[in-house]
Amino acid sequence: MSELSINGLRKSYGATEVLHGLDLEVSGNEFVVFVGPSGCGKSTFLRSIAGLETISGGSMTIDGADISGLEPDRRGVAMVFQNYALYPHMTVAQNMGFALRMAHVPKAEIARKVREVAEILQLEPYLDRRPMDLSGGQRQRVAIGRAIVREPKVFLFDEPLSNLDADLRAHMRLEIIKLHRHQKGISIYVTHDQVEAMTMADKIVVMRDGNIEQVGSPLDLYNEPVNRFVAGFLGTPRMNFLDATSTGVANWRLGLKVGGMTLSPPIRPDADALPEAGAPLSLGVRPDGWRIVAEGDGLAGRVVHAEQLGRETVVFIELEHGPQVAMIQPGQYRLHSDDAIWLAPAPDELHLFDASDAALPVARIPRTNSHN
Amino acid sequence: MKSLAFFPRTRRMAIIMHLFLLGYVAVILFPLSWVVIGALKTNREMFLDPTGLPADPNWGKFIEAWNAGVRDFFINSVVVSGVSVALIVIASALAAYALTRMNFRYSGWVYLLTVLCFAIPVHAVLVPIYGLLSDLHLLNTHLGLILPYAAFGLPFSIILMYSFFYEFPAELEEAGKLDGCGPWRRLWFVVLPLSRPVLISVAIFNLVGVWNEFLLATIIMTSKHMQTLPLGLVSFRDQYGTDWPGTLAAISIGSLPLLVLFVIFQKYFVRSMAGMGK
Amino acid sequence: MAQPPTHHRRDTISALTLLAPAMILFGAFILLPLMQTFAWSLYRYEVFGGVKEFVGLDNFAKLAGDEVFGIALINNLKFAVLSVVLQVGMGLVLAALLDRGVRRFKVVYRTIIFAPILVSTAAVGLLWSLILNPSIGPVDDWLGLIGLSAPRNGLLGEPAFAIYGVIFVGAWQYTGFMMVILLAGMQNVPEETYEAARMDGCKGLRAFFHITLPTIRNVIITCCLLTVIGAFKVFDLVYVLTNGGPGNATEVLASYIFRNAFEFGQIGYANALSVVFLAIAFVFGLIQFRMIRR
Ligand SMILES: Nc1ncnc2c1ncn2[C@@H]1O[C@H](COP(=O)(O)OP(=O)(O)OP(=O)(O)O)[C@@H](O)[C@H]1O
Ligand SMILES: [Mg+2]
Repeated sequence: MSELSINGLRKSYGATEVLHGLDLEVSGNEFVVFVGPSGCGKSTFLRSIAGLETISGGSMTIDGADISGLEPDRRGVAMVFQNYALYPHMTVAQNMGFALRMAHVPKAEIARKVREVAEILQLEPYLDRRPMDLSGGQRQRVAIGRAIVREPKVFLFDEPLSNLDADLRAHMRLEIIKLHRHQKGISIYVTHDQVEAMTMADKIVVMRDGNIEQVGSPLDLYNEPVNRFVAGFLGTPRMNFLDATSTGVANWRLGLKVGGMTLSPPIRPDADALPEAGAPLSLGVRPDGWRIVAEGDGLAGRVVHAEQLGRETVVFIELEHGPQVAMIQPGQYRLHSDDAIWLAPAPDELHLFDASDAALPVARIPRTNSHN
Repeated sequence: MKSLAFFPRTRRMAIIMHLFLLGYVAVILFPLSWVVIGALKTNREMFLDPTGLPADPNWGKFIEAWNAGVRDFFINSVVVSGVSVALIVIASALAAYALTRMNFRYSGWVYLLTVLCFAIPVHAVLVPIYGLLSDLHLLNTHLGLILPYAAFGLPFSIILMYSFFYEFPAELEEAGKLDGCGPWRRLWFVVLPLSRPVLISVAIFNLVGVWNEFLLATIIMTSKHMQTLPLGLVSFRDQYGTDWPGTLAAISIGSLPLLVLFVIFQKYFVRSMAGMGK
Repeated sequence: MAQPPTHHRRDTISALTLLAPAMILFGAFILLPLMQTFAWSLYRYEVFGGVKEFVGLDNFAKLAGDEVFGIALINNLKFAVLSVVLQVGMGLVLAALLDRGVRRFKVVYRTIIFAPILVSTAAVGLLWSLILNPSIGPVDDWLGLIGLSAPRNGLLGEPAFAIYGVIFVGAWQYTGFMMVILLAGMQNVPEETYEAARMDGCKGLRAFFHITLPTIRNVIITCCLLTVIGAFKVFDLVYVLTNGGPGNATEVLASYIFRNAFEFGQIGYANALSVVFLAIAFVFGLIQFRMIRR
């Protein structure tokens, strides 16, 4: 059981600050995934934990001990690089044992540990080869093995699978998770592949512009995003956003006008700040949150294109009074371009955001429409 | 950003490293500046105080040396280097293009021949070349130096261009084909413009080699007015043996052109010469 | 297969046209002369006596007993070994300092250190012959300052020292060249490799020895090869600095070939020397080619 605690972490390059005071607590043997758009500071955050970047403020502790001033090899962390960064002139065994050799561990001990890890990773047949003579997946396993040999408290991965093809990636994803369970340490994993984030993480950290937007389990984030950015970031196709206007609160319901449609979702009892009548809002509907309704019942639109995937159908629809939206319907729908279609959000699939993009508390929402 | 340093990043270490480098730089710069300063001194000053500064700098020696032959050497060097480098660049580009891009049955053999020529030093064929040029009445002519320079500059240049063209994306040329270009026009409009870096590299290291070449020039250019700078400077010393400042002035101006080019085109020079280590 | 035969012919003709300039030059100035070198090495061929007769391998037999040839060969070897140590060794130190040592003035240092390569070797020889000249050069005075007395005829006039003087001047000129090649090699080592090394607890000079040197191994080998080949080809430096003297103390293969051919008129013998020279250079040349193409 390890514990990683980060408080007010800041990092600047010269005058530009790229991490603006990050806080994060990780404990037990959680698998934590950092996601966020390119350039948001994921790698910088990870490398700061690794000790490859000197931080400009804040503190980091592992199991209560401050590590912020320590050299990378003294922090009890190990890192798997995107391009593997294996030493080309060393054999697989030498690569894996290098850190121990640098720490003056006796040769026999190094050999034993390397063999042990090679067994776990099924690398035994390759121990005497050079990285150049391995496949991409094998190299990746060596890179992971090199990290395991050091028995770190925290494993750091920076987009480790991005150089692999789709099949191998799916396979390695599973391997990494299995290893993580086996090792009982903390893993921190950077990716911008949200399938990796959703499938691997115990805890997802969504970052934007050097800030942490939300931390939580994959489903928490999917179901209860705290703001429009997080809502839009997770899920493919992305959540659809439509402009809505509040018509005020009545009977614990919030009146909404969206296009030609009115909705009146109930508000949670714990809601505090409620939008006044006339306040501009944003309505979020996930692609699988649409229902096809009868003509005249809801929002009118035209099919732009339908992707027939067999098990489901992804339809892109140009709304008459609004943007283009995506809809996923289970099963097969034989829709064609330019077909007219009427949509409405499913009752329990509504997300609302105020003008500052913060999520508004909305509970189950029974659908109403103009001529109920 | 370099996260790892070979030496501790302390002030003291930084000072030690700079002192070391400055020491080395001094060893390089001292002789060079000694030459230039010496050219400004009188013979007497040279003898009495070899390292001292001239009491009354005499710039006239540079002009004197220039008129006493350095001008001719300079012109010869420019002609010989310019033409032979141009010849090498053109011929090696054409040859490498033919070897990599054309459906030619004996490409393999020609390449092998090139490698063979690459491994043959000019020293091994001095006498026959002298004989050949003598038979062709090319001794003491610019062409007599240009042709062997080109021949010996070509192999390495071809090998370098060969590997460049070899990796050159074939799609680009296929696009050219579809746009209706024949092989010549593809070479001219597609391949050569994209090969600028390697062409410049080849030009530069051949220029450095040819401009400073000595051995062939010594046997071919026996008459003084045909000599290129390197041997011109030596014969200058032999002729004006005791006029030290004059000799030093000649060395200074003779060495200047390439150094000036280097300072202007430093990036290309460094890339070209570093490429030899590939 | 799919191409009509005329197409193929047209390609062959184009290829021959493009290759012609290079092939003609190779033939006329490298391959044909090479044959002649081989042929004449079997002749007793003297310009001054007007002699030209076939003697088989006599020249090579004579060569085996030629003391000056031995001196030349040993000088070339000394040149090769010491140059590798001085030029590649110092080149590595300088490159390390510029790659991951100092952080300021790197370009200035590199520019100055590289500059001597652009001065012709003849001019370098000239300037050092003047600096080492006992009457006008300062070096003798300096030796006096540290309590050593320079040889009467200067360092280059002393048979025991002269060759080392020449080797030193060669290193003075070419070390910067080696540094630039090695520096380029070091700069090609990916930053991630060093980061991995840091994670593994390997930094500072340890990283230089464990990571940098092995990674640029091929570049170092190439540098050694270039230096060795250069050492066997050396001519201008010797010609200008000592002209092979004093006595034959600084004779090298190239100067000895030159002297035999163009001073003694011993064409046959010079060509036999050339054949030996060729054999040595050819081997290194092919290894170098292997390194270029890797
Ligand atoms: N050495 C540096 N100097 C200045 N700015 C830097 C440096 N390294 C990174 N940055 C900046 O810091 C920000 C965060 O970079 P970082 O590499 O952490 O992004 P990332 O989230 O990992 O992106 P990606 O998904 O593309 O890998 C970027 O805006 C980048 O431009
Ligand atoms: Mg990144």
